[in-house]
Amino acid sequence: MSASLVDQLETGLDAPICLTWELTYACNLACVHCLSSSGRRDPRELTTAECMAVIDELERMQVFYINIGGGEPTVRRDFWDLVDYAVAHRVGVKFSTNGSRITAERALWLAQSDYLDVQVSLDGATPEVNDVIRGPGSYATAILAMERLADAGFTGLKLSVVVTRENVPQLDEFKALADLYDAQLRITRLRPSGRGADVWDRLHPTQEQQRELYEWLLANGDDVLTGDSFFHLSGYGAPLPGLNLCGAGRVVCLIDPVGDVYACPFVIHDEFRAGNVRAPGGFARVWRESELFTDLRQPQSTGACVSCGLFDKCRGGCMAAKFFTGLPLDGPDPECVLGHGESLLATRGDAPVPKPSVDMSRRPPSRACDESPLTILHAR
Amino acid sequence: MNIAPDQLEKKAVEPEADEATATLPADEELVVEDLLVEDISIDGMCGVY
Amino acid sequence: MACAASTDLLDRGWRVAPQVAVRPEPFGALIYHFGTRRLTFLKSRPLFDVVASLEQHDTAREACCAAGVPEQELPRYERALITLAGAGMIVTADEP
Repeated sequence: MSASLVDQLETGLDAPICLTWELTYACNLACVHCLSSSGRRDPRELTTAECMAVIDELERMQVFYINIGGGEPTVRRDFWDLVDYAVAHRVGVKFSTNGSRITAERALWLAQSDYLDVQVSLDGATPEVNDVIRGPGSYATAILAMERLADAGFTGLKLSVVVTRENVPQLDEFKALADLYDAQLRITRLRPSGRGADVWDRLHPTQEQQRELYEWLLANGDDVLTGDSFFHLSGYGAPLPGLNLCGAGRVVCLIDPVGDVYACPFVIHDEFRAGNVRAPGGFARVWRESELFTDLRQPQSTGACVSCGLFDKCRGGCMAAKFFTGLPLDGPDPECVLGHGESLLATRGDAPVPKPSVDMSRRPPSRACDESPLTILHAR
Repeated sequence: MNIAPDQLEKKAVEPEADEATATLPADEELVVEDLLVEDISIDGMCGVY
Repeated sequence: MACAASTDLLDRGWRVAPQVAVRPEPFGALIYHFGTRRLTFLKSRPLFDVVASLEQHDTAREACCAAGVPEQELPRYERALITLAGAGMIVTADEP
């Protein structure tokens, strides 16, 4: 990718190329690292009509493709109608699912659909590794969905894995699993976003594992997708396939269940909220005129990284990873391949970090309120 | 291979001259040509699920 | 406009494939195939003009001429069109 084209993309486009749309915060699972802190439905969710209006806008703007997630998007009753509507309106769809609503009949329906991609989430190649993160039975549910889709003749399935300390040793097994079900493997980066912040310290790959991951991608990456989420590793050597830049607010963004527009799904925080699709001018106005996105499309200050020879490759890494670990946005990524992020983290010790602005987790939020009666009781 | 000394000299000089004049435009042409059309995966943008 | 010696692709009629969307951008254009999910950047505005107008001209060469592509650039543009054809982004005008 030429330097000038990267520069052009960093200054933003008139419309996203694709975007993530979290359709609901409701979810039947409670994955420990959930980037959207999902669990309970927000009563202010966009209605079916409002969703269709957004799709109409995306069609006018020529957004090519949407990645629908949540929560578990298939728990919305209008989900399959919305998918049909998008496809009928020249917006390609991929949806991400834990597989719990993929019945045999639904698998057949999907196999007969066009312009529709399905992505099943799994975070361990074995139930022992997976279920600790995604919950008991979640491995079996995912595999059953993949079996049903394969049986129904569905093609183009994606198996999506969030890379953690626990599953880096299973990369080859994931590839084999994907091959077994005629699926394409997709591996993505764990960010300290949503509930991910609670587990990031113990689950994010070690420096050694990052190197291993990078080498594995170089060796096997031809048919493995990454969502360009490992561009921070490009400092190790040859850049990985993809734009190798942060697309947030520039070529992609997030629309959340209540219509809030964020720079990307990993920064569900007021600091990165650009506006709401329900406001006059809808999504288009937010994309084109919001202060946040206008700011993101300016040349970003490189601060501490300006003198590093690798900056051109890593581009300072992921702003979500920096933000939620309390690091400055104009400095190194917490997983900087040279270890600059690690050193910086060590200097800030246990200083408080930003918390997500939305938490629909079904567990009592451990961080929200300090006035537990138990605390008061113990203090006496 | 039998090459006369003066021819040798010519051979020694000419490639250099060719390189000097040919390198830059050829490189430019190559670089410019490579850039007219470029594929990227729809999955190749960071910030999407 | 004077034209160079005839080459096969440039002298055929082409059009954008039905499942393809072309979106102009300041740097050129984005071209996306809904069937293959393939996304391609067209890195010059004249190339976008050529692609967008293919159907209106009998041959690709005429589309290039109309878009103001200089004579000496024709081979480069032809190679770009070959790439697009290979990716299924453009099809010959007589293809169903």
